[in-house]
Amino acid sequence: MLNINNLHVEVGGTSIIKGLTLCVPAGEVHAIMGPNGAGKSTLSYALTGREGYEVVGGTATLNGDDLLELAPEERAAKGLFLSFQYPLEIPGVPTLTFLRTALNAQRKARGEGEISVPDFMKLSRDVAKKLGVTPDMMKRPLNVGFSGGEKKRMEIYQMALLDPRFMILDETDSGLDIDALKVVSEGVNALRGPDKGMLVITHYQRLLDHIKPDRVHVLAGGRIVDSGGPELALALEADGYDRYKEAA
Amino acid sequence: MSLAELTLSPGEAALLNVFPPTEAGDAARVHLRAAGLPNRRVEAFKWTDLRAALAEGIPQADGSAGLIPECLKDALVLDFAPEGFGLEGDKDQGLIIETEDSLELEGAGPLAMIAAGFAPRAVVLRVTQRQSRPIVLRRHPGAPMRIRLELEAGTQLTLIDTALATAGLSTGLMEIEIGAGAELVRYSLQNGDARAIDLANAEVSVASEGRYQAISLMFGGKLARAETHVTLAGEGASCLIQGAYLLSGTTHADMTTKVMHTSPNGQTRELFKGAVQDRARSVFQGKILVERAAQKTDARQNHHALMLSEGAEIDAKPELEIYADDVQCAHGNTIGALDDQALFYMRQRGIPEAQAKSLLVEAFVTEVFDAIELEGVRNWFSSMARAWLEVSSS
Ligand SMILES: Nc1ncnc2c1ncn2[C@@H]1O[C@H](COP(=O)(O)OP(=O)(O)O)[C@@H](O)[C@H]1O
Ligand SMILES: [Mg+2]
Repeated sequence: MLNINNLHVEVGGTSIIKGLTLCVPAGEVHAIMGPNGAGKSTLSYALTGREGYEVVGGTATLNGDDLLELAPEERAAKGLFLSFQYPLEIPGVPTLTFLRTALNAQRKARGEGEISVPDFMKLSRDVAKKLGVTPDMMKRPLNVGFSGGEKKRMEIYQMALLDPRFMILDETDSGLDIDALKVVSEGVNALRGPDKGMLVITHYQRLLDHIKPDRVHVLAGGRIVDSGGPELALALEADGYDRYKEAA
Repeated sequence: MSLAELTLSPGEAALLNVFPPTEAGDAARVHLRAAGLPNRRVEAFKWTDLRAALAEGIPQADGSAGLIPECLKDALVLDFAPEGFGLEGDKDQGLIIETEDSLELEGAGPLAMIAAGFAPRAVVLRVTQRQSRPIVLRRHPGAPMRIRLELEAGTQLTLIDTALATAGLSTGLMEIEIGAGAELVRYSLQNGDARAIDLANAEVSVASEGRYQAISLMFGGKLARAETHVTLAGEGASCLIQGAYLLSGTTHADMTTKVMHTSPNGQTRELFKGAVQDRARSVFQGKILVERAAQKTDARQNHHALMLSEGAEIDAKPELEIYADDVQCAHGNTIGALDDQALFYMRQRGIPEAQAKSLLVEAFVTEVFDAIELEGVRNWFSSMARAWLEVSSS
């Protein structure tokens, strides 16, 4: 599914990701943990094609497609979704307009027909109910005036609606209280599937109690410095990242 | 400058022949011979050089006056064509329409002089009762328009004026008197290509508790200037002046407003928003003057613009001049680019870059249309903006 090989990324001329190799097979959920500033968000931006995150070496493919040569919207149409650590506010664009535009643009890029307005309305309502997104939130301009937690909920709402094949969740747990975390995690778990993959970036073990990963990787100093099963997350929770300082 | 010293450009010389043999035409001729057309050496025209725009003569008129949208099918339409003035549709009670061959023009600027000189006669509209039927004023390619509009106390009128010539010189002069407690709502639409010159001028005076409300959409032309002078003469008079503009190619649009508060308790709300791309240029000059007598004035002015290409130009001159001490006045002016982070966010969701830009620009400028009360007109303006975005982003 997602194959990253010896990836090097520079931001503003500074090397941040320094030879990262990672493979997430279809059907699996992998967690990436690591200290602040390790390069977790940088990795997610490089994979989704944000300007200024320059890939200077290595490869990244999704189901065999070279991600690095595609525009961000083309990567999205291939099924790549990033739940942002800091979701943007889009003033003046109602959430539902935004989502219908996004969904239809993706469908068009894949050679599929547009979704009808009634079908879209039904879909958006069904998904909203599951994730505790209120009709008021859907009518407002996207994310404008939302609390940190509401924005994260909205990210997962968008994810559920767009139904991507590979999902990157960048610190989705931050800003969520325990009840919201449960609701959001249920939403995320419902999107797992044999032909889907997920990369869950988090700082804390807490999220991984709800979204159980198949593998856990430690990112420090721009590289994967350790990998293991879910028990690795528990060990990190107890001991912190100090022992990776050397490796970084 | 003496007559002998001023060399007229081909455009200025051509204008002399265009002005009809009326009093206003003669006055315009005298003015033009003496001062020439307003140009960049004149402070109020430093960014909008009419002499340069007309240097090679008057562009040949072309295009049509545009269609009346479905939402205005009941409106009374006044057509201003080069051949003359025509009227179409039903007239409500309480509306008197007359024409005047000579009408004095008081203390007006050069644009008003030209427009008055160009028009063979003035159409005088007197509103003596509230009008439920809107009036459309259509300027045809190459046509002059001169309107005097008097709203008697307590009356109300909605006016839509359009200038949609593809090419040519068209002018519009509106002298408007809004009586006590009366309200004029005006929606203006201007569009033209690189051969169109449109000069619109509104001189508005508002009596106590009267209201002038104007919302415009401009796409510019070779040169388009909409100049509005409002005097809030009576106590508690108010105005709302809003404009959106979308400019591409080499078009030029100028929005110049001057609001004078001369009595207490007046209110002004101004909001202009636009986006400029390619090598187009927008000009916003907004002055609010509060005289000493105009205590408790509440005036706000905002101009916000998006620069979509490096070759584009946005010139803004907001001015507050306040002589009263107990007032609330504020203004804001920003010029910026589209938010890169928002663009990336939208593209990550699968929206192609051009479409993402369009959505952001549309959301930005159409805020101006929120104040349009007639839903049909609001949708009309929004769809015009959307059509521009579709063409200019492809
Ligand atoms: N836009 C940027 N400009 C300059 N430095 C950046 C930028 N984004 C990230 N960095 C730097 O890259 C490093 C990794 O940041 P980031 O990927 O956000 O870390 P994490 O998400 O793991 O906390 C940090 O040292 C950060 O300061
Ligand atoms: Mg981060």
